Amino acid sequence: MPALSAEQVRSLVLERVQSSLAAKGLRAEDIPDNYDLLTEGVIDSMGILQVITEVEARLGITVDFEDLDPENLTVIGPFCRHIAKKCVNVEK
Amino acid sequence: MGATSNASSANATSRGIHGGFLHSCELYAHRPAIELPDTMLTYDELRNRAMSLAASLQRATPSGGPPLTAVFAYRSPTAYVGVLAALLAGHGYVPLNRSFPPDRTRTMLLSSGCRSLIVDAQSEPQLEHILDLLEEPLLIILPERTDASILQSRWPNHTILGAGDLGPVAAWQEKPVSPDSIAYLLFTSGSTGLPKGVMVTHRNVTHFVDFMAERYGITEQDRFSQTFDMTFDLSAFDMFIAWERGACVCCPSRKTLINPAKFIQSSKLTVWFSVPSVGIFMKRLGALKTGQFPTLRWSLFCGEPLPAEIAKSWSLAAPNSIVENLYGPTELTIACCLYRWQQGKSQEECLGGVVPIGDPFPGMDVLIVDEELREVASGRDGELLMAGPQVALGYWRDPEKTAAAFVVPPGKNQTYYRTGDRVCRPNESGPMCYLGRVDHQIKVQGHRVELGEVESLLRQEAGVEVAVAVGWPVTASGAEGIEAFLMGNKLEPQTIREKLKSKLPSYAVPRRIHLLSEFPLNPNGKIDRRRLNNLL
Repeated sequence: MPALSAEQVRSLVLERVQSSLAAKGLRAEDIPDNYDLLTEGVIDSMGILQVITEVEARLGITVDFEDLDPENLTVIGPFCRHIAKKCVNVEK
Repeated sequence: MGATSNASSANATSRGIHGGFLHSCELYAHRPAIELPDTMLTYDELRNRAMSLAASLQRATPSGGPPLTAVFAYRSPTAYVGVLAALLAGHGYVPLNRSFPPDRTRTMLLSSGCRSLIVDAQSEPQLEHILDLLEEPLLIILPERTDASILQSRWPNHTILGAGDLGPVAAWQEKPVSPDSIAYLLFTSGSTGLPKGVMVTHRNVTHFVDFMAERYGITEQDRFSQTFDMTFDLSAFDMFIAWERGACVCCPSRKTLINPAKFIQSSKLTVWFSVPSVGIFMKRLGALKTGQFPTLRWSLFCGEPLPAEIAKSWSLAAPNSIVENLYGPTELTIACCLYRWQQGKSQEECLGGVVPIGDPFPGMDVLIVDEELREVASGRDGELLMAGPQVALGYWRDPEKTAAAFVVPPGKNQTYYRTGDRVCRPNESGPMCYLGRVDHQIKVQGHRVELGEVESLLRQEAGVEVAVAVGWPVTASGAEGIEAFLMGNKLEPQTIREKLKSKLPSYAVPRRIHLLSEFPLNPNGKIDRRRLNNLL
């Protein structure tokens, strides 16, 4: 069960929503840190749950989102850093 | 006691569903009526804004239309001011939602026949699309825009008013409300591909509000969640029960709703009301921890089956609250059955891990019937029919669909609404349990979707004769999404999906379209949906 860096989580997540991004003419590398997947219409609320489930399966951990500001739950940068932070804690 | 409550109920009816709000304005003028992410309006402020808008509606609405005003606003002050303004002007309100495809919104506006439309700033950009091809002159009010003259020159055919053009509060004229006039016209998914408008009257809503406000002992100290969009009739619970008693409605942003745990705490909510999906999400995100929500007095769920697991977790997270499961289609006015969750006892009464829907509200009559509309034997399952003061008037300008759904069963002498829901009462003295849909109407993430509507659009866009839509993956409360099957190999699923995206709300657009060389059939020669599910 490897720990992932925020960058690696980001790649995982963006891979998952690749087709929606492509439909908007965007590539993963174009996505800024403050890009909101929900308000930009890339993902719906059920989609975010699917992403979480996939990332968790990949990491073999359950991530608690209680202490992530709800407004940041669908913002790519904070979301990925939160998951990376949680998996470091599990490693320790 | 009985006579008193009857008298107050009759009185409330003649005041309309906004009567309670006006009464609370007298008692609690400076208390908060509505809280939004960036704003708060007191009763006094909300009333003044609504009356000024209502005065303009009364003055400038073009004649010849039905007494209805559309409110095209989303989680903004204008949404609430607009609803009250429509009612104060003597109109019913027709909620529209900018998160729906503009085509769908235009269809709703057109079929409602509304001659007046209230729009908030963020919905305004969609006007271009919605007003396209609209011939009837409309009154369009943009209360968040000071000067509407640019738009007026863009659409000379319509009358467009901004905040600066609104009438003085004093110009508002009180209109008597007939209990049987429409309080709101709410469009739901229709099987022919066109949304159908449910006509809900002041009498319907008043019956609901009187019972619920009393049951929950609501006071001016209460703080209600508003998780539902106004295009979902459950939103009327929050508004009209809170305002009936001087309480505050707390409306979070759409984003906050994904994980509203912090919102519940910081807003000090006392009454929670949502679809169970919100609870399922929160549990999944680790946000339902024991003792998290001490301020809640009531935790209410409605709109889709409530998993026992969620009722249990929620009642631990909100230890000072009572959890109730509400049930009711739009046609029976918000909710008409309820069940109180009791840790321990309720586990045994759940069927398939789903909390019972319980018993009807006082005054509402239940009938469980077979296909011939004859009552089934005790303990057997059948379609749920209900009669009573919350049965809506029917479908807007659609006598055919109204006659099919609002029926007088053999041997009965009142109108029952056919819910299309399959229920049973396993024990004669126990609660009713929900088993599923009789037809193909399902819940996707809490939203009602007629698979027939999705299929009819699929056929249309793909130019094929047979299309099948199924809910998939199946969840305790319905389905996570829709998947579709088409026969043929020259079709382009992606193109078809793109076309559907402009016609259906996102949750109803099939996530995948599968092409088959033929459909599996069951022994009756019908398409075998179960075997299609096995392909997924």
